[in-house]
Amino acid sequence: MGIVQGDQMILNIGPQHPSTHGVLRLEVRTDGEIVSEIKPHLGYLHRCFEKHSENVTYEQVIPFTDRCDYLASMNSNFGYVVAMEELMEIKVPERVDYIRIIMGELNRIASHLLALGVYGLDIGAFTPFLYMFRDRERILDMFELTCGARLLYNYMWVGGVSHDLPKDFEKICIGFLDYFEPQIKEYNNLLTYNKIFIERTADVGVIPADVAVSYGVTGPNLRGSGVKWDVRKDEPYSIYDRFEFDIPVGEGQFGTLGDCFDRYWVRMLEISQSVKILRQALKDIPDGNVHQALPKKIRPPKGSVYRRTESPRGDLGYYIVSDGTPVPYRVKMRSPAFTALSCLDEVSRGWMISDVIAILGSLDIVLGEIDR
Amino acid sequence: MSKYFANIYDTVNTLWTGMRITWRHMMNIKRDNVTLQYPEERWPRPERNIGFNHDNYNVIRSRLHVDIDECIGCLKCTRACPVDCIKIDTIKAPVRGEDIPNVGHTGETSSGTKKALLVSRFTIDMSECCYCNLCTYPCPEKCIFMVGGPNGSKHPIDYEFSEFDRNNLIYQFAKLITPGQKEALQNPTPEVEA
Repeated sequence: MGIVQGDQMILNIGPQHPSTHGVLRLEVRTDGEIVSEIKPHLGYLHRCFEKHSENVTYEQVIPFTDRCDYLASMNSNFGYVVAMEELMEIKVPERVDYIRIIMGELNRIASHLLALGVYGLDIGAFTPFLYMFRDRERILDMFELTCGARLLYNYMWVGGVSHDLPKDFEKICIGFLDYFEPQIKEYNNLLTYNKIFIERTADVGVIPADVAVSYGVTGPNLRGSGVKWDVRKDEPYSIYDRFEFDIPVGEGQFGTLGDCFDRYWVRMLEISQSVKILRQALKDIPDGNVHQALPKKIRPPKGSVYRRTESPRGDLGYYIVSDGTPVPYRVKMRSPAFTALSCLDEVSRGWMISDVIAILGSLDIVLGEIDR
Repeated sequence: MSKYFANIYDTVNTLWTGMRITWRHMMNIKRDNVTLQYPEERWPRPERNIGFNHDNYNVIRSRLHVDIDECIGCLKCTRACPVDCIKIDTIKAPVRGEDIPNVGHTGETSSGTKKALLVSRFTIDMSECCYCNLCTYPCPEKCIFMVGGPNGSKHPIDYEFSEFDRNNLIYQFAKLITPGQKEALQNPTPEVEA
């Protein structure tokens, strides 16, 4: 951090602070109330995911991927199993693909709802948080119906899913979507168009597109800066190429392109796009066996694979090296939240301390995934 | 100057919009109330029979339980567990598929499998368990499961099993065998002293 000169002061935010979204410690050098440097200290939630994976079999890695991004466990599972299937050259039945996309998109909605609600909470709006949690709860109920767990699912397996969908899941899910779509309008009226909220977020913490690209920021944070990049569209995995959906990008409607409001707004628009994908998937889902392609013993051939998928936080990549044994030689996870946090220092220089909280919230980081 | 008043108008207007929404919810408190008074009332658990031909699936995450009379000591659950919270010790049974009454060992499972091993220790440390449900799938006798669900009639659901002492979370399922009995089982024909 260097020498503190003159009026400068070092302020410690975290590791236990409600606005740091987990256990993150920020060492902030301030000049009065203006931030001149931020140094994030990581590792409070380090659980040796990558080293641990080298000591368990391939199917036992899946519960550990759950715990990395615990707000979007389905998407974490999804990335791992897609990578494994590419390595083993398994073709899963069509129903499995549809189930995975339904689950992934539902979890994307749940994760974005939490991100937006907690962002409002950081800024000082308490009510939207409760409303968004109420609706997130209904998604978790659907997950509980499907696989028994509400947060850490272990639902997607290599070559299939652990359970088929419950009997009238389609009806329940359509019912939820019909209930949920009008709620988005309510959130917008309650929080998005609120003048106080716009004043706190518009023009604050601008990430220009070139800075975002050079730091490797992905997902809604990158799209908020106006870059149209979505792995689901540009490098389709599973059967995402069959669905029709748009990639919302920031427009800077209340301030500059790439400010906190744009990142918030992209997430809000993405929820509607997920609803659109869900409706298409629920309409077309075929019948079939979900365990058909499940291998008896997972022993991939020698080789390696890198597969990227779009998690709610961005580009989630898995690099898996196999040496032909039932235990992986190496599992590397490319975490989108980690790269998002890395640009915090550059983005928040020159802003006030209260704006740092707004910037950090808009990046939507999950510390379980950053530390792994 | 006009921007100043426009700002004030915007603020009041958008605040009023938001307040109207919360007010509407407050008026419909009977319909919109989602808060549960937890210990008194509980959220209804979803129906576990998920249809199709998968009735035997245990779609539930709760406390693990073992029907020890059904266990044949094959160690498949131990190998499936990613956190190694299941520990099993076995002794070779003197005669395959025969009861040993003095240690409470039954020779056959309810599905008719003859046991070759006697399970002398079966512990599950529920404080280590990560509730991934991976141990329940490979079991050939379907004797390890999470309580509730399809087994609800025999073993009602239990997800509130906190303890004051951590050791109480280590569940012992095997029947108690004294060291003397263990010795006798391991050396079935001790040498007779001359």
